[in-house]
Amino acid sequence: MTSVSETTERTRPPFWRDLAVLRVAAQVAAVVLAALVLVYLGNNLVTNTRAQGITLGFDFLDQPLGVDIQLSPITASNTILQGLIRGWINTLALVIVGLPLLTVLGVVVGVARLSSNWLVAKLAALYVEIVRNIPPLLIILFVHNVVILGLPPKNEPASPLGWFSISNFVIAGPWFDASDGAGAFWTAVAVAAVAAVFVWRRRTKVNEATGEPHHRVAYSLGLVVLVGVIAFFVLGRPLSWSLPVFKDRLVTGGIQGLGQYFSMLLALVVYTASHVAEIVRGSIQAVAKGQSEAANALALSGFQRLRFVTLPQAARIAVPPIISQYLNYTKNTSLAIGVAYAEVTLIAFQAIGNGQPAPQLILLLMVGYLIFSLTISFVLNIVNRRMQLVSR
Amino acid sequence: MFKRHGRAVALLAALTLILAACTSSDDGGSSETTAGETETTAAASSGGSVLAAVQDRGKLNCGVNNGVPGFGFVDESGEHVGFDIDYCKAVAAAVLGDADAVEYVDLDAQQRFTALQSGEIDVLIRNTTWTATRDGSEGATFLHTTFYDGQGMMVKADAGIASLDDMANTSVCVQSGTTTELNLASRFDEGGIPYTPLTFAENPQIQEAFIAGQCEGWTSDKSQLAGLRSNWPEDQGGPEALVILDETFSKEPLGPVVRDGDSQWAQIIDWITLATITAEELGIDSSNVGSFGDTESTEIRRLLGLEITGDDGATSVFDPGLGLEPGWVVDVISAVGNYGEIFDRNLGSDTPLGLTRGVNALWTDGGLLYAPPYR
Amino acid sequence: MTETWTAPKATAAEWARRNLFNRWYNSALTVVLGVFLAWLAYKLVVVLFGIDYEIIRRNLLLFMVGEFPRDQIERPFISTILFGLAFGLGAATAAASARHAAAEADLAYAAPTPRMLVRRFWPLLALVAALLAFTRTVMPTVMALSTILGGAALYFGARGMPRSMVRWGWMGTLVLGIAAFAVIIVGVDGGWNAWGGFQINIFLAIAGIVIAFPFGLLLALGRRSSLPVVRYLSVTYIEFIRGVPLITLLLMGVFALGFFLPEALRPGPAIRVLIAIVMFEAAYVAEVVRGGLQAVPKGQLEAGQALGLPAWKTTRLIILPQALRATIPAMVGQFISLYKDTTLVNLVGMFDVLEVALVVNSQSDFIGKRLFFLTLAFAGVLFWVGSYTMSREAQRLEKKLGIGER
Repeated sequence: MTSVSETTERTRPPFWRDLAVLRVAAQVAAVVLAALVLVYLGNNLVTNTRAQGITLGFDFLDQPLGVDIQLSPITASNTILQGLIRGWINTLALVIVGLPLLTVLGVVVGVARLSSNWLVAKLAALYVEIVRNIPPLLIILFVHNVVILGLPPKNEPASPLGWFSISNFVIAGPWFDASDGAGAFWTAVAVAAVAAVFVWRRRTKVNEATGEPHHRVAYSLGLVVLVGVIAFFVLGRPLSWSLPVFKDRLVTGGIQGLGQYFSMLLALVVYTASHVAEIVRGSIQAVAKGQSEAANALALSGFQRLRFVTLPQAARIAVPPIISQYLNYTKNTSLAIGVAYAEVTLIAFQAIGNGQPAPQLILLLMVGYLIFSLTISFVLNIVNRRMQLVSR
Repeated sequence: MFKRHGRAVALLAALTLILAACTSSDDGGSSETTAGETETTAAASSGGSVLAAVQDRGKLNCGVNNGVPGFGFVDESGEHVGFDIDYCKAVAAAVLGDADAVEYVDLDAQQRFTALQSGEIDVLIRNTTWTATRDGSEGATFLHTTFYDGQGMMVKADAGIASLDDMANTSVCVQSGTTTELNLASRFDEGGIPYTPLTFAENPQIQEAFIAGQCEGWTSDKSQLAGLRSNWPEDQGGPEALVILDETFSKEPLGPVVRDGDSQWAQIIDWITLATITAEELGIDSSNVGSFGDTESTEIRRLLGLEITGDDGATSVFDPGLGLEPGWVVDVISAVGNYGEIFDRNLGSDTPLGLTRGVNALWTDGGLLYAPPYR
Repeated sequence: MTETWTAPKATAAEWARRNLFNRWYNSALTVVLGVFLAWLAYKLVVVLFGIDYEIIRRNLLLFMVGEFPRDQIERPFISTILFGLAFGLGAATAAASARHAAAEADLAYAAPTPRMLVRRFWPLLALVAALLAFTRTVMPTVMALSTILGGAALYFGARGMPRSMVRWGWMGTLVLGIAAFAVIIVGVDGGWNAWGGFQINIFLAIAGIVIAFPFGLLLALGRRSSLPVVRYLSVTYIEFIRGVPLITLLLMGVFALGFFLPEALRPGPAIRVLIAIVMFEAAYVAEVVRGGLQAVPKGQLEAGQALGLPAWKTTRLIILPQALRATIPAMVGQFISLYKDTTLVNLVGMFDVLEVALVVNSQSDFIGKRLFFLTLAFAGVLFWVGSYTMSREAQRLEKKLGIGER
């Protein structure tokens, strides 16, 4: 060993042609270059902000916000930080509701494009080809100004079935009204839900080991419902049905969302689903044709073929690109500036307009979105990895 | 062996450098406490005279609005038109002798002060409200008000709203990044009136939301509201379908703004506004400005830069020392006219806005326009 | 006679039975959807032919070029013609080089006929026809005809070029492309800050991807570099940019970029926005290129090494040409997405086509007329045509390249 290394030592080329030295030099150069650029920019930032009397640092976050935020307890006297947090909550509200919706719509349309019914397939294709080739911001503006503003005005809401209250200002539906003991009820249901997961797994194992039918949906759902019903009566009916009522210019009760919220939700779900549909279609087509034929040979029905043969395999291919569509959806929620939905970008934009320092606010915004995106992709990648393993 | 070692060295070097970079920017951050030097740096960095820069360039960079009819708007031929635009032209006429030597920079409400601070525009004439905070901490100097406005609230006539206090549980549309938005919050919070603000970035969208009944109130400068009201289409009920509430819940003096640190430039802009007012007071307008060659009035002769014969028979031309050529007022008036003409052309009764002069009349007519003497 | 007449009819019924009514649920779906479609088509026809297009007709120029000085309006016209010529020459050169490559490999090469081209670009042609119907002077028609005919003539005339001319073909395309830009920048009052309307969307998309390309290439190579520091720097940049929305970068470009540069270097509004777009796009281009690099088999690299080529030569002569060829469809996809994203610039105050679509509703003749649906749909059609045509071309290319590789 030593003799070999000695020979290499001896035959080593001069340092300017020594690959090892060059590698180090190149990397040091890259770091120096990057550092110089950063120092230069930072230096300018300090000089310029000082020249214009703008303070660096994040003390401004404690200043009063100056504006009220729609449908929230945040008013002008709250701090900018509280305003931004509220903005993140509003962003989250779009993401949490939107992702499942767009997945369902995307899968349905993607499958419909391959339907044996010519009309269904063409209609799905029409939807995909129209929607995905139009800018999302334009779709948002169109949905807001044409679809949502086309609903009845704020003070003349329609109330189909008496269960809903629909106007272009607020759309409301029935929800639970909580009284004492509601917390205990939800805790019981949550515990039951966790238990249901274990039951599900257990039934799956039993099915795999013995081959007897698993009935896992019935078992786990039944558990949750059973616990729920018992808890409901034991705790003295802690929940009641709350219907939205319009009175004195105000909708009370039920669960409500601002027209702005639904503009964003509808537009972004429709837009992103068109991309998801393409992914789903591509993935199904990528599943070998023999698999479908094998399913046909087993005399599975169309639905069974989809549910047990094609989709599970297509899902493996589709999940990574769909995750990237989820991230696109999340990032596109920032377009709400266009329709006055108070998510975080709008609130930061407002603060900049009211004289708060732009560099820090934008930095905060970027870091926030980065954390948001990374969290989503982290969680979904775990899901993805599990799926890949399970199906192998 | 060496390879791994080299990698470690490189990483170490990288870390050192990054740390060094961090510390150096930390230094910068901590020295911000020496804010005493702020003023001098600002003056020095703006590099001297805006006037000289504009004259060298041969063009005036004027920051304007493009979406408010009557004040700053892009019409269907792509031209900027409006009250504020005419003042851009007046500045160009005074400084460059050519009212068309203007480059209009369209600015959002949010962007306007950034554009001013960065030197991208020479003057901001974009219905901007003069407030102490903006004057004090945006690096901006506010000049003589060209239009005295006030914030109002417009509602539909059949909404059963007679005053702001009737507006509990309403939704109000407002433009973001404006003082309007701040005034709205303080007025309604102080009055304990629950409401929902819808903050749009663009006026046309507010208009659409208001028509559709998504927002019941529309708050903005009263002049803008009046303009919209008088243009309200007949199929929507015409102007009578809308009511502008009496209460004016803030003062909105609108005028030109320049960057801090060049008082000569600020004085020039100030006196251009004042000259249009003085001209109206003296009865000088764009049609007769050339006909004062042999007027007896020294006041007019001073303003128009005509030769004045002193008691000793020597002739001279009055120059207040603003740095403009004598006779600049003639250029301004023949290009855009006096204050009254500018008002009538863009906002007056013959325009779609159909505003009356109100407080924007001369002091002699009971208004607020009162120009210091030009002497 | 009767037999030949009935035969297709029977096939149609057969076809309908197989494709529309093959199962009971499909029959139900067909009926429901059929009724829905008929209603939709009826509505669409009523709207399309029943409304007043005055707002579009009067503001057509505003939609197209925004505030561009009207006394220099011939410049955008000339620029469009130059673009058409550049496009024709570029397509001809690409066709010629594909033909030569096919001949070398003894493969068949089928040149597209004019009819095929019309079928491929019908949305574009239909849009041009519709736009011309809105015009009131003869000049736009002259421009459109010279653009289309000039481009087509150049394509059909030049695609037979010999191998030695291919290089000059590319050069000519580049010169024409640059000239097309120069005509509307050099000598125009206000330079590119005078741009507006649809023009600025197209400009930002093209300039954005062209300028971002070299940066993206470097980042992609950096990400695959064996030098850890370079790799980490590239990965950090790419992942940071891909994790944030474009609007935050645009806000940074508009509100904060000035703070990071000395006063003398501060760019104007259009350039600031362009810088933000390039920063954004470089990260995405890098990922596209990385995909292409990964598609090159490792044996290619080893072959280069076996020939004793230094690393950079292996990359430049062996890896990159194959990788970049494979990325063309993905790159077109990236361009489409950027093209759509350029609408975001109206949120930071640019007078782009979407801003026009909003602002025209405040003109005194159109206040309160509720024409948003029309102006927005018009802007939507402008984007859709370009985006749809390009995505179909990308699919075609993908298929073609896929076959070529097999």
